[in-house]
Amino acid sequence: MSKYGTLETEIKEQKHLLAALTEMGYRPEVHPQGSCLVGYEGQQRPEKANIIIRRYQLDSASNDIGFARTADGRYVAQLSEYDQRIGFGQKWLNRVHQLYKEKQTIAAAKAKGYIFKGREVVKTDQGEQIQLRFAVR
Amino acid sequence: MSQKTITIIIDEKGNSSIDLDGFADNSCGKVFEDFRGGDKVKTEHRKATFYNSKPVETQAKTGR
Repeated sequence: MSKYGTLETEIKEQKHLLAALTEMGYRPEVHPQGSCLVGYEGQQRPEKANIIIRRYQLDSASNDIGFARTADGRYVAQLSEYDQRIGFGQKWLNRVHQLYKEKQTIAAAKAKGYIFKGREVVKTDQGEQIQLRFAVR
Repeated sequence: MSQKTITIIIDEKGNSSIDLDGFADNSCGKVFEDFRGGDKVKTEHRKATFYNSKPVETQAKTGR
């Protein structure tokens, strides 16, 4: 039988999140116990995160961007309102999810013995889609 | 026998779809899980090819 399904990406694997952020040009810090985010004036903010992109890698007036691990194992982004307004909003976060899913999919397929057949980027009116093809060994 | 293929499309929002083709057995359930990666399933259904895969002999013969 053949099957079709749609999924909502949940970021759960740290290594693929780090790989996605690195591909976007950042050097994310890892804090297993969590660390405070730093605001644009250099003051500590109350929010803590486990993966942090420091503000100097963003915009001159940016705050740190964090990803905090929740009790159910998901990573949730912490973005200030200011940074969301200057280009680090939903569209930026969507790109993180897209790259994360690509890396997670390729790694999972490889680990389970599927044959990678190709990658294609398809441009649509809504934006770029990534198409990955695999075959059963 | 057609090759079993898996196509994953990751959309601009970072969500994805899984399209399984050429599976004539029930292994597609396991393959679907392999590629789900812990994500939340929004929709899931068997494709028309599954329903069209009945042997030709079972089709009713009509006409003269």
